[in-house]
Amino acid sequence: MITIAGLGKSRGGVPVLADVSLRVEEGGVTAVVGPSGGGKSTLLRCLNGLETFDSGTVSIAGHGLAPGSHPPRLLERVRRDAGMVFQQFNLFANLSAVDNVALAPRVVAGIAVEDARRRAHGLLDRVGLGSFAAARPATLSGGQQQRVAIARALAMEPKVILFDEPTSALDPAMSAEVLEVIVDLARGGQTMVVVTHDHAFARRAATQVIELVAGRITRSGPPAAVLDS
Amino acid sequence: MNGMPSIRRKPFVRSLLMIAVLMLGPASAPAAELDAIVARGELVWAADQEGGGPHVFLDPDAPGRLTGFEVELAELLAAELGVQARFQQGQWDRLPLLLGRSVDCVINGIELLPDRRRDYACSRPYFAYGLQLLARRGGSLDSFERLCTPGPGGHWRVGVLTGSAAEAFLRSRHDLTVDVIGYDGTIDSLEQVQTGVLDAALMDDCIFNFYADRFAGLQAVGRSLGGGYYTVLTSRDTPKLSAAIDAALGRLIADGRLKTLYDRWDLAGRQQILALRDATEIPTAERRTVGQLVATTLPLLLSSAGMTVLLACLSFPLAIVAGLGVALGRLHGPAWLRPLLAASVEVVRGTPLMLQLYAIFFLLPKVGLALPALVAAVAGLALNYSAYESEIYRAGLKAVPIGQFEAALALGMTKWQALRHVIVPQAVRLVMPPVTNDFIALFKDTSVCSVITVIELTKRYSVLALSTGRILELAIVTAILYLAMSWPLSLLSRRFESRQEQRA
Repeated sequence: MITIAGLGKSRGGVPVLADVSLRVEEGGVTAVVGPSGGGKSTLLRCLNGLETFDSGTVSIAGHGLAPGSHPPRLLERVRRDAGMVFQQFNLFANLSAVDNVALAPRVVAGIAVEDARRRAHGLLDRVGLGSFAAARPATLSGGQQQRVAIARALAMEPKVILFDEPTSALDPAMSAEVLEVIVDLARGGQTMVVVTHDHAFARRAATQVIELVAGRITRSGPPAAVLDS
Repeated sequence: MNGMPSIRRKPFVRSLLMIAVLMLGPASAPAAELDAIVARGELVWAADQEGGGPHVFLDPDAPGRLTGFEVELAELLAAELGVQARFQQGQWDRLPLLLGRSVDCVINGIELLPDRRRDYACSRPYFAYGLQLLARRGGSLDSFERLCTPGPGGHWRVGVLTGSAAEAFLRSRHDLTVDVIGYDGTIDSLEQVQTGVLDAALMDDCIFNFYADRFAGLQAVGRSLGGGYYTVLTSRDTPKLSAAIDAALGRLIADGRLKTLYDRWDLAGRQQILALRDATEIPTAERRTVGQLVATTLPLLLSSAGMTVLLACLSFPLAIVAGLGVALGRLHGPAWLRPLLAASVEVVRGTPLMLQLYAIFFLLPKVGLALPALVAAVAGLALNYSAYESEIYRAGLKAVPIGQFEAALALGMTKWQALRHVIVPQAVRLVMPPVTNDFIALFKDTSVCSVITVIELTKRYSVLALSTGRILELAIVTAILYLAMSWPLSLLSRRFESRQEQRA
């Protein structure tokens, strides 16, 4: 589903990613761990073109990304197939929960309003927020917002979902409710790449774990092999 | 700060003080009587050099030097009083207001009319004028009587000098199918006839005779109509000065010096009748009670307030849309467009609204784009305010967190889809209070449109105040009308702000 080969990127002469290569199989859950500033989020953002890279290649959901800036059309196709969930949720502040979920199906996929909203209601039910459809993001708790954000990503039926530290801004109770949703998705066979500090979660849900230190992959393999050594 | 709060906490007391100052204003500046003028050795006379020839204008051969038959008349009158003449510039329709405040008399083609007899001391006539209708050579307007039936474009559009006898004459003739359009300068209307914006102009015959060469495409239509006399205005508080000017004029007429002057300016025509004339043959208008005043002026003021609302409500939506477009172009448009937009915003913000209105109304017709005054006014206001709105929107767009944009892009939206559905709606909400504030400012700026003949509330006030002589009473009525319009907007703006505070 994702193949990264020799990915390199530097910022102001300082390498952020160096010779990163990895494969994510369809249905697999890859956890990316490592110290802060190690390049985890940058790697993730290179996968859907929110950031560019200097060398190497990325193949994601059948699309190839090359070094340097990407053509807008290609990016739109990549992003339809690769959803993203952010650390700070980034729910659209001007829209209700259900409209947050229904917006992209409507304007990007061209689905009729009623169909998009019906699908959105279904997804909110799935993340346990069926009764919060009309709520504005500002009135929801952090955990609820992140679950809406996951529903929003799912609404485009992406082939892969990229999670950028989805629980770092949440307290333990809210983290747990979000992780429950992600584990549930993993069981359903959703391909995912999850940047996380939460080793317990990685053990429970990941099929492979990558440790990134100073922009390089220092260890990789099954969770037990990487996390227990 | 210790002395201030007692007044600052009581806006009511403050407004009472303001009204008191307003009422004391005119009375506290007594006009200089003849003895004071002789003692200071100077007679200060007021005119508007923008009014043009042959009265008072800048000498084209020696820029900066004032010339005209009234300049020479002022010098003759001053010499008769044994003093020097000193010129004071003022806007023509407001010249009489200068009397008693630094100005001793007004000599500038002021027609002897009943309203003026009521409010000021008027000298015996020093010049006899006729009213002349002017139109394009070979046009369909070939006689004054044609104005009684509709022209090819419906009502005939006839330009006049605001506040002049020509304006009063046309407005009193209800049998004519004309739209009377007031200008601040005499030759503005000639320009507009030439460019086709107007069908005709009506003005004192001596003015057109003076400028006939410059407007070769125009011709006098029919013979000059009625007409009347010019008078020297003085304050009613200076009877000795008024008498001295009357006597001096009498001597200039009797011994032929005035005729010599007019011969030199080629104005002699009908001036021989001056020797027989006196100001008192023109009746004095009656002073009305406040009730009558309000009853007669309120309908006019209300309809002009309607024009103010119309101008603001047509131009502001345009300004908002254009401003948003410019802001989006500057932040997200192609690289070549950004400096162009930035430069045009600077040009529009850096030049006065009045100049922009002038350019749109008086200069565009010269390149073939003659806009009706209302359209020009709306376009000018929209252009001017779009520059300010674009800066507000630019700040608003930048204030929306970048994560909102990334989240939209990450769902596969294009840049413009993300802007349209996510960023702009949030920016619009952010800028609501400053934008409402600008709407209130625009409301008041509509008054500038009077320079291009649009009569809105302020212009209507100033015309009515001058024709009735009731400056203070009408100012209060006008201020109340403005407040009635801007107060609801202020409330709206405050509601937006408090709603935003709740959100934050």
